[in-house]
Amino acid sequence: MSEHTSRSYVRFPLARRIEHIVMLSTFIILGLTGLPQKFSTSPISIAFVGFIGGIENLRLIHHTAAIVMMLGTIWHILFFGYMAFVVRTRLSMLPSLQDVKDGWQALMYNIGFGKSYPQMGRYTFEEKLEYWAFVWGVIVMGTTGFIMWNPITTVHSLPGEAIPAAKTAHGWEAVLAILAIIIWHMYGVHIRRFNKSMFTGKMSEDVMLHEHPLELADIKAGLAERPVDSAALRKRQRIYIPIAAVLGLIMLGSVYGFVNLETTALTTIQRQAPTVAVFVPWTPTPAPTQTATLPPTETPLPTLTATLGTPSTEITGTPATAPAEVPSLTWDNAIGAMLTEKCAACHGAAAMAGLNLSTFADAMKGGQDGAVIVPGDAANSSIVQKQQAGGHPGQLTPEEIAQLVEWIDAGALEK
Amino acid sequence: MSRWFRAHTMQFGLAGLALGVVIVLAAAILFEPSSVAAAPQFQDGKPSDETCLACHQQEGMTAQIGGQPLPITIDGTKFHASVHGMENVACVDCHTNITGFPHPEVTASSPRDFSLEMYPACEKCHNDQYQKVLDSVHQKALASGNTNAAVCTDCHNPHTQTRLTDKATGELLLGARLAIPQTCAQCHSAIYDTYKKSVHGAALTQEGIQYVPTCIDCHGVHNIQSPTTASFRNSTPELCAKCHTNETLMKQYGISTNVLNTYVSDFHGTTVEMFEKNYPDQPTDKPVCTDCHGVHDIMRPDDPQAGIAFKENLLVKCQQCHPSATTDTFTDAWLSHYEPSPRAFPIVYYVNLFYILFIPVVLGGMLFFVLTDIYRRFKNRRSAPSTGEEHK
Repeated sequence: MSEHTSRSYVRFPLARRIEHIVMLSTFIILGLTGLPQKFSTSPISIAFVGFIGGIENLRLIHHTAAIVMMLGTIWHILFFGYMAFVVRTRLSMLPSLQDVKDGWQALMYNIGFGKSYPQMGRYTFEEKLEYWAFVWGVIVMGTTGFIMWNPITTVHSLPGEAIPAAKTAHGWEAVLAILAIIIWHMYGVHIRRFNKSMFTGKMSEDVMLHEHPLELADIKAGLAERPVDSAALRKRQRIYIPIAAVLGLIMLGSVYGFVNLETTALTTIQRQAPTVAVFVPWTPTPAPTQTATLPPTETPLPTLTATLGTPSTEITGTPATAPAEVPSLTWDNAIGAMLTEKCAACHGAAAMAGLNLSTFADAMKGGQDGAVIVPGDAANSSIVQKQQAGGHPGQLTPEEIAQLVEWIDAGALEK
Repeated sequence: MSRWFRAHTMQFGLAGLALGVVIVLAAAILFEPSSVAAAPQFQDGKPSDETCLACHQQEGMTAQIGGQPLPITIDGTKFHASVHGMENVACVDCHTNITGFPHPEVTASSPRDFSLEMYPACEKCHNDQYQKVLDSVHQKALASGNTNAAVCTDCHNPHTQTRLTDKATGELLLGARLAIPQTCAQCHSAIYDTYKKSVHGAALTQEGIQYVPTCIDCHGVHNIQSPTTASFRNSTPELCAKCHTNETLMKQYGISTNVLNTYVSDFHGTTVEMFEKNYPDQPTDKPVCTDCHGVHDIMRPDDPQAGIAFKENLLVKCQQCHPSATTDTFTDAWLSHYEPSPRAFPIVYYVNLFYILFIPVVLGGMLFFVLTDIYRRFKNRRSAPSTGEEHK
């Protein structure tokens, strides 16, 4: 055993290992922040979104991870170009018919119909399947992600329905990718045998012998790495590096466009709540009794007389005259308003006990028991007697009673 | 004493019986013929309703409060027909400061001020509703000094209000629903004018269909909340869904009950749903039902003028948030509450179908291979347990 393990081979240079860590971490972040959006009604999703600090935060993280993954992909493409066109390494990840045969042979072996497990090279059919599945995933997720990120741009060339279709595909593709990683990658690389080569970069000869025997044989035969003529290499570098720089810039520009093309899709403008006139009372405000139930009458409502101070048209039929010259108390300049204010609730239009004090004429007419105002004789006016006895509902103050007495004693003049 | 009492039990019994008979007879004679509609038991020697109405039934009575008139005529017939009249609530049960004649001085500075002084009397019997009102937007407005804000008596005239709820179940009587828009319109007439033209409002105010939403179904009754808050807006989908996911209710109008599902499964709905669960009181810029359908002016989607089933009308709604969306095709990004099917939105349907088939095939294949691999490794280990290096 020890002689087998004494030797190990470089399987992944540092750059590839870093690339792997970038891709695996963004993949996990995308999965964690994406699945709650796909299964949004699940309490786990709600709790996770709450933990992250809200759906907008979740999306920000998701988008950031997506950008990093896109940058990783650009790097991968440029690196592939370098290896393929400059170094002219073997394109050992390309799928071939042999992979199908290997897969079939492995399956037959597993279920007992084959004598031996297939002998494979640098990348087994399992690894190639995973790699190309990832490529497919990146293409699908990138395209559908672009559509969702830039829906308005999308509808210039695709039907609007492409946007919800992209959302459907994006979600299901994520489910597929995550479950494939759990089933295929976890089993093949972590459970069956924990393959640390992607982190250490090395693989022991022992493992190489079992998992990549053809590659090991090539290495031993000196066939794995083709000799490179350094002059030719430098020449190809001089051609490739400017091309790669331009390609890289174009791709970076595309990512920038991807992210910044549209502003309103990702950051919708804040909705302005429609303004509504809230307090618009119905006019005229229907008063419960008054005009609705009263028959039309020439007598103005007591309030009008009181507040406007105009003489009743019914009585005089003449326009109001300025009361400024009249020094003494009259109905018009004081008493009418006072009695309306204090008495008209009952002795207004309601004319309780037949007495209506809202106009001078009605007041002088008196109530059902006769006149209440005896001009010149306040002491015998029942209005004064009632008020002086006290306790009447519309009780006048002593000053008001004094005014009333003075007015009646002076002859109870209208003007 | 007790021994004496026991010795005379018989005599006490007889005397008690005789006294009881006398009291019952007296009560029958005293109360039966003369009892008025208003129950005397509430009044406890205070003026009866008939006493009050003797004056207040006269037409045209108006009190002057702060120089403004307050009509104080009460229609006795209407009052007796009102729920208060029917339930023998007496005038003085609310007008507690009236113990007789003359009445005490009115301290209010205006008729409105008088109403504001009076309405707390409602609490005595309607404590539940009163407490709810204390939480309402009206009460907040009142507290901030807006005396126009509605109090109990603005919606329920205590002298004429008829029964609104079923006495046994407490549920709103159907007929009562018809009067609700007009009640609110006393102050909110501009909204009423909009509402009565809407699909809901027209059904209620013109056709008398009582099951359609009226003001209180969205705004609540006594604890009416401000409808401009983020939490009110965030809860809109659930609010509309109350009726729009009700199978029996929607069947009458041939309306789909899938509207909430389809909204929540769309990007906007998903966002609002997830947002609301964690931050119910924070604003979100994603649309809710009312942003496309309207608030008081909700129209049928197929309304020839404003119906949002027409792309050009819907696009206007989209542009509220996506101003750079200028083509009708953009509106197809929203599935219009349809479940994707071969007829409606076939691309979405077939993409979904593809994955529904593709995922089990791929994962099933992977799982099958993995299981065979596990099986073989266990088998190999059993057959050659000592050779730890047997790898495959």
